[in-house]
Amino acid sequence: MTTWIDASCIFIVFLSLGILATYRIVGIIKIFAAQSFVLGLVLIFLHAHNLSTRDIVISLGTMGLKGVLVPYILFWAIRHVSMRSEIKPVIGFGTSIVSGALLIAGAFWISLSLKLPGKPVSDLILPCSLATVLLGFMIMVTRTRAVTQVLGYLIMENGIFLFALSLFDVMPAMIELGILLDIFVAVFIMAIIVNNINEEFEQAPASVSRSKMGETF
Amino acid sequence: MLSILIMIPFFCALCAFLPLTKQFRYKLFFVVSLIHATIVLLFWQHLPSPEFNGFLELDQLGLIVLSIISVLYLFVSVFMAGYFEHEQRSNRTVTACLLALLSTMTLASASRHMGLSWVAVETSTLFSAPLISFHRNQESLEATWKYLLICSVGIALALMGTFFLAIAAHDVHTLLLPTLLNNASSLSVNWLKLSVIFLLVGYGCKMGLAPTHSWKPEAYGQATGMVAVLMAGAVTQCSFLALMRVGQICSKTGLTDFYSSILILTGLLSLGVAAIFILSERNIKRAFAYSSIEHMGLLVLGLGLGGVGVFGAVFHMINNALAKVIMFLTAGSIAQKYGSSRVDEVRGVIHVYPVTGMFLIVALLAGTGMFPFATFHSELMILNAAVISKHYILCVFAVVCLGLMFIGMARIILDVVFGQPTQPVLAKKENFFMNFPIGIAALLLIGLGLWVPTFLEKVIRHAALLTGF
Repeated sequence: MTTWIDASCIFIVFLSLGILATYRIVGIIKIFAAQSFVLGLVLIFLHAHNLSTRDIVISLGTMGLKGVLVPYILFWAIRHVSMRSEIKPVIGFGTSIVSGALLIAGAFWISLSLKLPGKPVSDLILPCSLATVLLGFMIMVTRTRAVTQVLGYLIMENGIFLFALSLFDVMPAMIELGILLDIFVAVFIMAIIVNNINEEFEQAPASVSRSKMGETF
Repeated sequence: MLSILIMIPFFCALCAFLPLTKQFRYKLFFVVSLIHATIVLLFWQHLPSPEFNGFLELDQLGLIVLSIISVLYLFVSVFMAGYFEHEQRSNRTVTACLLALLSTMTLASASRHMGLSWVAVETSTLFSAPLISFHRNQESLEATWKYLLICSVGIALALMGTFFLAIAAHDVHTLLLPTLLNNASSLSVNWLKLSVIFLLVGYGCKMGLAPTHSWKPEAYGQATGMVAVLMAGAVTQCSFLALMRVGQICSKTGLTDFYSSILILTGLLSLGVAAIFILSERNIKRAFAYSSIEHMGLLVLGLGLGGVGVFGAVFHMINNALAKVIMFLTAGSIAQKYGSSRVDEVRGVIHVYPVTGMFLIVALLAGTGMFPFATFHSELMILNAAVISKHYILCVFAVVCLGLMFIGMARIILDVVFGQPTQPVLAKKENFFMNFPIGIAALLLIGLGLWVPTFLEKVIRHAALLTGF
């Protein structure tokens, strides 16, 4: 099973790196959905030897909420937006991929000095989750569209969740589900505000808001 | 009892979404606030018994935070009666979100599990976001977006800190606070240090401590006065409560020096940032937001200094909340009368609205910690703690910052109150329901400044001892 866990972890980091190279918002949302599915699978792989109902519930919860519902809500939020690709990212795509690779290297280097107590199932979980968190951060700060920033936040959250999977026994299932639900509600509210922003700024006279539309939203 | 206290506002929040009249929603809000306050008053006689295997339990610290929340809701619910008389917009989202916020904040103050606390604080962030964009214009949407994004990232870091804490508590197998405190010796110190840093950054971001304070002036500047009161007086206190819980764990594991040094540093940074930025501010609400950053800085400074400083910090939580009622409700009442809170458009308030003008002066004195307001005493205790612990330079720096804050606030407020009168755009009369809660809060703050009742002092002392600093 360890091979499968390792493979999924690396796949998750690859998908985050893939988002750095994608500039169509629809594509980014799809990659995020794929990443969330893999995240749900990691949980199954981790507990494959004695799978309990609780593992299945949380795994299905992750896949259902993050893999299906959240992408659906984000598609709803941008349904009226005509400009569906990233405009003027703070740094170019080539540079961002190179910096992303550096961040991944950094994450692996940091995790060398962090020692998890007990016997970890896979050595890759910690560095991969750190790398995903850092890449999510980077997407948030270098992209200019509101939806892409939400996606950066979600990628970061996926990284934190991957980390949480390795210490499942400390958190009660209710809290774990509460965290999942919170993230879902967060995206829901963010999507409503993105929707309001789109409506408000598309009605506004061009001279007032044109510069802002490119920069912030 | 605790779970009932959490569920009542939550179900009423769901009810508020039904197609009801404005009046009915308002009455619902008032009744829920009243019930909440009554139950909390009962808790002062007997602390409620633990529920859900000890996940929900109220100690003295939680009781103080819960009482602050309850009192602020009572004030706001009276103010709301006057505010919505002149407001054309529907109060559906506002009432529903305010009630949901009450429910999550009650959960945050009663939670004894670090994971559950995180869930509660995060949910309170989410329900306060739609409240900021009440006016639905470009500026308020931008402020909401900034608030939501910065606080979500901050809170995500706090989640990571909570997970690091879970690793540190690998041998204890739970994040329940009493169990953690009893088995403090078996916590892994290195992971705990990492976790403390992440938790401080995360919850500090939610409190509005520098350098993650940038959402505060935007959010408080755009939110209506009532919402700003609840955010500055109650939501921030829930995060501070989480920081005090972290302090409890640190004091049991011998990390007091480590934690207090970061707290002092963040506190000083917040004081300095607030003092510098307020000097060039020309908007009443935004100036009050900088004052809130300053007060949050004072709170963590008090906690970091320990001893009498912790007593001062817990006392300051109460005083800060009351001062914020005076400040933001007055600012909200002015913003509704003039349609703006910028100094250039609002001048000579005392000539047109004598009572509101007087309240602005009171807000200036209460917010900057002048005698006889109780903020004076709690700030003095925190400074006293600095002197006792021989941090003389720190004390001088704090006094200079407080002085600059006074200059910055006085410049704006005196201009607004006594300047050449401008014509109020919306020209409404003074409203009793809007002035009444401000007056009561001012009287309470003066009362606490002159005399602290024995029972209150006992609870504050007990709460301060709980932190172990």
